[in-house]
Amino acid sequence: MGDLILFKTVFKKEFIEMKNYLFNTLFSMISIYMIFVFMFFGIKFISPQAVKFGNTIEGLIIGYFIWLFSIFGYSDMSWGIMEEARAGTLEQLSMTPFGLHRVLIYRIISTFLLTFLYTVPMLFLMMITTGKFLHIDLLTVLPLILFTILPSFGLGFIMSGLGLIFKRLQASFQILQFIFIVFLLAPSDKIFAFKFLPFSLGVRLISQNMIHKIKIFEMNRLDLLILVIVALFYFFAGFYIFKICERIAKKKGVLGHY
Amino acid sequence: MKIIEVKNLTKIYNGKKKTIAVNNISFEVEKGEIIGLLGPNGAGKTTTIKCIATLIIPDSGDIFIKGKNAFKHPSFALKNISAVLEGNRNIYWRLSVRNNLEFFAGLQGLNPKKIKNKIDELIDYFNLREKEKAQARFLSRGMQQKLAVACAFVRDTEILLLDEPTLGLDVETTHELKELIKKKAKEEGKTLILSSHNMKLVEDICERVIIINKGKVVAIDSIRNLKEFFGYKDFYFEIEGKIKEEIKREFIEKFELVKFKEDEYVTEIEIELKSAEYIYDVIDMMRKNSFKLKRIEERTPDFEEIYLKIVKNG
Ligand SMILES: Nc1ncnc2c1ncn2[C@@H]1O[C@H](COP(=O)(O)OP(=O)(O)OP(=O)(O)O)[C@@H](O)[C@H]1O
Ligand SMILES: [Mg+2]
Repeated sequence: MGDLILFKTVFKKEFIEMKNYLFNTLFSMISIYMIFVFMFFGIKFISPQAVKFGNTIEGLIIGYFIWLFSIFGYSDMSWGIMEEARAGTLEQLSMTPFGLHRVLIYRIISTFLLTFLYTVPMLFLMMITTGKFLHIDLLTVLPLILFTILPSFGLGFIMSGLGLIFKRLQASFQILQFIFIVFLLAPSDKIFAFKFLPFSLGVRLISQNMIHKIKIFEMNRLDLLILVIVALFYFFAGFYIFKICERIAKKKGVLGHY
Repeated sequence: MKIIEVKNLTKIYNGKKKTIAVNNISFEVEKGEIIGLLGPNGAGKTTTIKCIATLIIPDSGDIFIKGKNAFKHPSFALKNISAVLEGNRNIYWRLSVRNNLEFFAGLQGLNPKKIKNKIDELIDYFNLREKEKAQARFLSRGMQQKLAVACAFVRDTEILLLDEPTLGLDVETTHELKELIKKKAKEEGKTLILSSHNMKLVEDICERVIIINKGKVVAIDSIRNLKEFFGYKDFYFEIEGKIKEEIKREFIEKFELVKFKEDEYVTEIEIELKSAEYIYDVIDMMRKNSFKLKRIEERTPDFEEIYLKIVKNG
């Protein structure tokens, strides 16, 4: 019961904050869209064949879509904690009997849900721009998105945790978002070990569905298993590291410092 | 059972240089008690308060909230604790007054819808009604602080920790906030630990005080007792004319802390007495020497002077 109240409370705050920063978010969506458009025409210009025959553009759309998802969640985690530390509310937040980590988990779920408000229109915008309409099968794609994105929250936890101790890490937080692209592009279909990276396998599975219409129960069982295990691993490893960092910050007495 | 027990609390910061912020502090607080935590800058007040709120993990020692170890059962401890920490950063600047109150209620697991009445009551009580919908960043410093205190009250915990709640407020707002805190804390039977450099405020609100200096407790007692132990009584006597040197010497021998000041017409005698009873001896001596007494005045030191004395001696 208490948890439901906590979740609603956190969700409401995230929602209000999203409204407060609506202009910023819209602005970054526009820039993100512009970059996509440049890439699209770039590819079209360099290799018109790819656009006509291959699945390059579809891949680009899906990769972009998932990347957006990942950075929304991730930056909310890492940047959000920094913001709270800077604003000085982090200590108040830590004084919830539910524990700071639980607040953060509800925050993750909230952002995950709210992110749909941005990513879905963007998806349609990209499809309209390119004229490539992807297959959308929610039953398959939603669980895949969830497990593909989960590692970004784990990484967010790690960065939040490190941020509690080293308050000025923020610059490096941003860089990591671009490293996400490397993960997304890693050819996990060719090199087995890459399946254990965040995002890589998930994006491939999502593509199987959105491009080739393969349903979740028709997919390779081992791949699905790896996806789930890898996702949970990153998430819980991140969570655990966060708890350690929180403890160190409390020992150093720097939870409220910035 | 005491509601708060602090046992041998020690906190050492290993920064560029090692600081023993809290050095083996122990004290207990009764349920419903309002207690002041005093001490000069850097004495360790904030560290102690943050340890109680489980925001800082001490190097050794324990804190028990209602008999349970706070560091082993933080969520139990935090069900019973709310705090306003140093500075103006306890509330969300981009949330409205009402949204802040709702958020902190929810953070405590209280359903904001169910306690709507309480939230309204607090908004009125802390005179925030006209700014109810304004974002906290647009409030005056005083209103922000009132909101922060209201957000601590909305959590409805038995224990309330206030770290310098009136710092940086003007005289009027300080007075207003003091009265608001005092009344509400009494009404709701809160256990309140309050740290402040404002001795008037402390004297007015707190029944008992803990004075710490350099991380150590130098006094724990009621303000009344401290005044009695550390207080002295200064008496001023105004005598017509001058006094002979030998009589002065006699006074000094007998009462030790005597000062004389004289001009052509009057002599002022200032005597510091350990107890008011010694006044008989003074009067007797004056009568014996046929002093012409014009005026007597008693001056008791206020709590601030006593506090300074304790800190200096501790
Ligand atoms: N995180 C920290 N790292 C290193 N030293 C610290 C830290 N926090 C506090 N200190 C030091 O510990 C000592 C006690 O600090 P504390 O803030 O508890 O004092 P205080 O009594 O609240 O002082 P004030 O009246 O100025 O608020 C000070 O010397 C302070 O510089
Ligand atoms: Mg302090």
